[in-house]
Amino acid sequence: MTTDTMISNIDPEILDTLDARASEIAQGASVDSKIAALLALGSIPIALGALAKDAYAQTPAAVLDVLQFALLLEHLEAEFYTRAVAGAGLIPAADLALFTRIRDHENAHVTGLQGLITAKGGTPVARPAFDFTAKGALAGFNFTGAGQYATFQAVAQAFEDTGVRAYKGQAEFLINDKPALSAALSIHSVEARHAAVVRKLRGQKGWITGNSRGDLPPFTQGVYDGEDNGTQATVVITGLPGAAANGGINAATEAFDEPLTKAQVTAIITPFLP
Amino acid sequence: MSERPRLTIPDAGMLGTARTRRDVLKMMAMGGALVMLPSAIACSDDDDNGGLTGPGPNTGNAVTIDFAKPGDVGVLQFAYALEQLEADFYTQVVNNFSGSTAFSAAEQAILTDIKYHEVLHRELFKAALGATNGFTLTPTYGNLDFKNRTAVLNAARDFEDLGVAAYNGAGQYLTVGANLTLAGKIVSVEARHAAVIRDLINPKSADFAPNAFDDVKRPATVRTAAQGFVVDKLTFANPPATFANAPGTNNTTG
Repeated sequence: MTTDTMISNIDPEILDTLDARASEIAQGASVDSKIAALLALGSIPIALGALAKDAYAQTPAAVLDVLQFALLLEHLEAEFYTRAVAGAGLIPAADLALFTRIRDHENAHVTGLQGLITAKGGTPVARPAFDFTAKGALAGFNFTGAGQYATFQAVAQAFEDTGVRAYKGQAEFLINDKPALSAALSIHSVEARHAAVVRKLRGQKGWITGNSRGDLPPFTQGVYDGEDNGTQATVVITGLPGAAANGGINAATEAFDEPLTKAQVTAIITPFLP
Repeated sequence: MSERPRLTIPDAGMLGTARTRRDVLKMMAMGGALVMLPSAIACSDDDDNGGLTGPGPNTGNAVTIDFAKPGDVGVLQFAYALEQLEADFYTQVVNNFSGSTAFSAAEQAILTDIKYHEVLHRELFKAALGATNGFTLTPTYGNLDFKNRTAVLNAARDFEDLGVAAYNGAGQYLTVGANLTLAGKIVSVEARHAAVIRDLINPKSADFAPNAFDDVKRPATVRTAAQGFVVDKLTFANPPATFANAPGTNNTTG
């Protein structure tokens, strides 16, 4: 096989990645000396393989970007639950322990991420002045009174399900920074616990079936789009042995949570940003 | 941040045999492979779970999980072992509903859903690993009474918490981004299970999530806990030498 024919079979996406990586290198990003040597020798297919793997090597700046994005989400959640727990007559006494625990966790996540960012030489993003009426979609919502409790719970579910998907989408960008990855994974599963218990409290299943937003308002559909994916690692889940007797397509989608990209998450939270 | 192409995890055949030049190139270029992480079993070293310990260890077949296998296969095998245990556990739970009043209809529906999820996780790993890298474990639960609500829920809690900690701890050993994402797709569902089980045990309490940062456990720690519930002898070859812990006072030892 010639080099040309091999290159003609490369995924355009991979070439795009390489192109982006080449730009990073040109801007001074470090490149493994062995890869540089391979490139110098003109060993394109080998260098290509090595570079493609190297493309996963995220720069410190990229890791900081992920952590800052996570911090923004945690600020949103922390502010939301802090105001809710303090809200006059909002949360009934029976449910207060549950939401107080979530509030405390989100505040701990903020503190933890700020520490990680600072340790890496970054300046943690400040907490914005959030708009919890979502630019009018939740007109009048101000964390006050029992009449707003259902709205609060619904937004809580949307935030938590979004948080799970957001961390999941960013994990791969931390693949070469193990301490940051472990921290993110450790938070990710806690967000999933929050999501499940809020869903259960609201009378929903703890897991997401298909791309159903359940009884949430239409403007939250983006939180669930794509959750109906039934293929994992090229395997069609409903085609696995015993799948039909084990919940079929509903279970096939419930059994796997799906990631969201940064752009998708940003679109979801934008109504709550200043 | 830039979007990145998602490498899909190959199916069983792809582990051994790339079917097209495109596949070959993808495997070469991306370091292609599979994998995931552990999920789990009952656990004893955690002060916030029930300290469940199994009847093992044992004298059955030796099952060796080799972390040096290329393409994240060792981590995938680790996950497969744990998913086999979880799937079997919930299958036993569901099979014991008949003639028992231990669980309400709503609780049976929850436990049945979880059984479905765990069986599908197991079958995905089985298909992905194929005959060459697969193996079948024989679980054992000692005198666990599957018709006792408290005993079953406490065991389920421990299995789920260990599963979450196992995936969280093994994520750092994955080398392919798509594999890390796939592991993430499973671990959050395990965490959902853990929270729901914990809420069945102590409804509307703060127990659903004991810590702001979930446990991140070393594979060896998870293996020790899992071994108690497997007839076969679980062995690691070339286990990871390094371990990156997460923040949190509960994460002091891994």
